[in-house]
Amino acid sequence: MDISERLNATPPTGEEIEPFLELTPELVRPRRSQGRIIFDRFIRNRTAIIGAIFLIVLFLFCFIGPFLWRLDPNVINVDNVSSTFAPPSLAHPLGTDDVGRDELARVMAGGRVSLIIGLTSMLMAIIFGIGVGSFAGYYGGVIDNVLMRFTDVILAVPLYLLLFVLSASFTDHTPKSVIILIAVLTWTYAARLVRSEFLALREREFVLAARTIGAKNMRLMFRHILPNAAGPIIVNATLLVGSNIILESVMSYFGFGIQPPDSSWGNLVSGGQSYFDSASWLVLAPGLLIFFTVLCFNLVGDGLRDALDPYMTER
Amino acid sequence: MTRYIMRRCLQALILLFFLSIAMFALIHLLPGGADAVFLNPRLSAAGRAAIRARFGLDQPVYIQYLKWLGSALTGNFGFSFATNQPVTDILAQRFPNTMELFIPALLLALILAIGIGVISGVRQGTLTDYTLTTLSYFGISMPIFLFALLSQDIFGVTLHWLPTSGTATYGYTFDFFNTVLDRVLHLILPASVLAITFVAGWSRYMRSSMIDVVKQDYMRTARAKGVSSARLLMRHGLRNAIIPLITIVALDLGQIAGGAAITEGIFAWPGMGSLFIDSLEGRDFPVLLAMLLLAGTFVIAFNLIADILYAVVDPRIRYS
Repeated sequence: MDISERLNATPPTGEEIEPFLELTPELVRPRRSQGRIIFDRFIRNRTAIIGAIFLIVLFLFCFIGPFLWRLDPNVINVDNVSSTFAPPSLAHPLGTDDVGRDELARVMAGGRVSLIIGLTSMLMAIIFGIGVGSFAGYYGGVIDNVLMRFTDVILAVPLYLLLFVLSASFTDHTPKSVIILIAVLTWTYAARLVRSEFLALREREFVLAARTIGAKNMRLMFRHILPNAAGPIIVNATLLVGSNIILESVMSYFGFGIQPPDSSWGNLVSGGQSYFDSASWLVLAPGLLIFFTVLCFNLVGDGLRDALDPYMTER
Repeated sequence: MTRYIMRRCLQALILLFFLSIAMFALIHLLPGGADAVFLNPRLSAAGRAAIRARFGLDQPVYIQYLKWLGSALTGNFGFSFATNQPVTDILAQRFPNTMELFIPALLLALILAIGIGVISGVRQGTLTDYTLTTLSYFGISMPIFLFALLSQDIFGVTLHWLPTSGTATYGYTFDFFNTVLDRVLHLILPASVLAITFVAGWSRYMRSSMIDVVKQDYMRTARAKGVSSARLLMRHGLRNAIIPLITIVALDLGQIAGGAAITEGIFAWPGMGSLFIDSLEGRDFPVLLAMLLLAGTFVIAFNLIADILYAVVDPRIRYS
């Protein structure tokens, strides 16, 4: 049918025009909160959820595990030849090490240290990074210049070299000192990130509006601007836990971090590597645990990045 | 352009100056101190003062710093506590070995990262892309020493394919061809281990950069004009996608240098990295100080070059 026919078929009378917007169930449904939207988006990301579930299992394994698996990780058993380097069995699911200690219990104990170091060093680094980054980004000018040159100096020297020099000299190789050391050297990225967020956000209207009604600098910085920069900071924090666990393991592997008889996954690998050919489980168990933990933190971090991305808008 | 280059050079020099102060202060704050190494506990007070005076340690720290800086600028970094050789000579001895590991590893990492990034960027969402993405996640999450241990065990101990330590087989003399082959065989494992840790991150970067470029109008225009697929990818796509990678690689150079130190330690590679770890254990402060400064200078210099290259390629940068 041609155009004139079609025009005649439906005469444009006022009553018959359908309402432009129909109230579908989609639209009637109450609006979700922003946190809910982000959570829903994260839940739908399958790899991120697998990562999150694995992380929960890992935490239970390291922190609740010792209550169920009651062997002492430090009890030496050299009564007979078969009690050392025992391959995985029912009595020792991950075998025993060179002096007959139960590897499963040691891996749990080491994991507690590694996870705590990764998490707390991340927290300290992020808090310090937020402090430096927000002052540099908010005030700009001289403060910005001084703080950023300071971070540039730290960024210019290879991280591992600084880490080794400082740990060989300043630390007593306890978890506490390792945490502080890692935090002192890893806040720079967070600081740069927060600074760039602040540079962009401080010019926005809502900041001007808050300033107009008399909000002070501190309030503007931490109540108004910082929450708007939360997304990238959370993503960075998650990824930082993984990379800090690797840093700790490398330090401990080279003997600059946690030292025996204390254990962390890194020094368990370095302790077991001499026996790799005869007792590979002593390297593989802690090594693969590091690998899976870091992998999970990376998967969750990337899932959060997608979930928090403001450009992926939906109702 | 000249103005921009001048400004960036000046900034780099200032940064280098601050770096030298920071590293000097760091080494001098170390417990034991630079002077403790030579001091015999049974030495009399007068003898102690004489030794301190001989090494200039009786002067205020800033005078020590200026003296050290003055001689460092002429290439003299003092003498090693451990061997009493000039630090510059020791570093010069180790430098070629480190480069023999560093440059092939860097090239390998770049080639792999660009290749993987382009393939998964162009075939976004396919099985190939997912496989490469999964592999790069594995690469990012693997501590370098674990990777080194596993590869040593598999390719060296179990399969007997490749040597696991050193730069060459000692005690044998080969003809020219076999000497080169021997060194290359020794290089394969450490260079791959060092490269792999960076391939993962860079290829992710290259992938997203490629995905952005493929969508651009000029790509469609070129295709419409009948440019062949290979030429389209190499000339029009890759050339534009590779620009952001320059900055990332320059920023990561410090991490590669650190990774090289670790790799050298694990593979008993007699380069600057092993020297660093040895000097650290022996508290050889002049050597440590020189190496920290050298590594920092290297990173700053390459970032400067990357910035300038970036400005050459993208004129918008110069005027911001």
